[in-house]
Amino acid sequence: MKRWVYALLGVAVLGVAGVLIQRALGEALVYFILPSEYAADPATYEDRRIRLGGIVSPGTVQYDDQKLVLAFDVTDSLQTFPVEHIGTPPELFKENTGVVVEGSFEDGTFKSDNLLVKHTEVYEAPKDGEPIDVEALKESLE
Amino acid sequence: MTTTVQSAGRPAWLNALAFAAVAASLFGAYLGLRVSPVDVNQGDLIRVMYAHVAVAWVSFAAVAVSAVAGIVYLWRDRPIADVVSVAAAEGALLFGALTIVGGMTYSKPTLGTFWTWDAKLTLTALMVALLVGVFVVRGLIADPVRRGRVSAVIMLIVLASLPLNYLAAEWFRTLHPAKAIDLTGGGVTIEPVMLNILLFNVVAAGLVFAWLLFERIRLGMQEQQDGDGQAPSAPAEAVHV
Repeated sequence: MKRWVYALLGVAVLGVAGVLIQRALGEALVYFILPSEYAADPATYEDRRIRLGGIVSPGTVQYDDQKLVLAFDVTDSLQTFPVEHIGTPPELFKENTGVVVEGSFEDGTFKSDNLLVKHTEVYEAPKDGEPIDVEALKESLE
Repeated sequence: MTTTVQSAGRPAWLNALAFAAVAASLFGAYLGLRVSPVDVNQGDLIRVMYAHVAVAWVSFAAVAVSAVAGIVYLWRDRPIADVVSVAAAEGALLFGALTIVGGMTYSKPTLGTFWTWDAKLTLTALMVALLVGVFVVRGLIADPVRRGRVSAVIMLIVLASLPLNYLAAEWFRTLHPAKAIDLTGGGVTIEPVMLNILLFNVVAAGLVFAWLLFERIRLGMQEQQDGDGQAPSAPAEAVHV
């Protein structure tokens, strides 16, 4: 009898703990916000260091290798914001790749000092006729 | 501590298992390093994935083995169940640590950072911390019965965190990429040849774990025969959980 009480109590405690963990993770550990979420409520994120995540808009990437300033637009297809990142582009950075930038908005431009790549879960070999640029990859890894 | 207990003859299958584990690991490394094509985005870096994912899956499996043995111990009080649970927990800690080390190695050139506190990485760090906790707590409890029960309960908590960890990249926004092999209905987004090489490496890592597990179980059984090594049984007034 006593055993069952303990067992039930144990399950109840674990259940409550699980719900709390799930909620804490779900709310507090939103790793980055999307451009459209920022646009919907910019006041919340004002003067705060945030992580902004989205896709690098094709045709917007500009890299100044003298000043080490990388400029591009990040989009979630609903909203687009210009990003200015101080630093070199990471190896896997390219158009249409997912990125997370860390920093804050200044006059409508996101000033980033940390650029992370969120690549897809698609893994494939290059197809015939579109050979991978191995030399460029090796260069970028040096 | 002197002991007169003769170690039982080493079974031939254990040697065979050890040989199979080493051979499979070497062949798995060959497949990953030489046979696998480069990835269209990551290039040669895809080769790190085979080791990282295989080790991570096996660390999850090791936690499951340890927790199930822990449940058996709580249920039946058989000392052998605690021996198995500890053996698997040690494997889980080893493979969990390798998951983090390999993940950091893989993450720096691909994602752009060694570490970040996203949901997946945080839960993995939590798993390894709890596994370390198991051994810290075990060292503090002298009574073998109580020690086994407490460590079984901690292993259950670690097990409970695994579904969250496994689905973290789907449920939460993380930097860690989502699963390429989605058992929840999303299909497979990894090329067949890469999938086969990955699965072979998972089997190889599993064999290594199984080998270490059985070696450790043998050791644990010998320890029990020797009167449980350093820990005397609890005095009569000890409080039992």
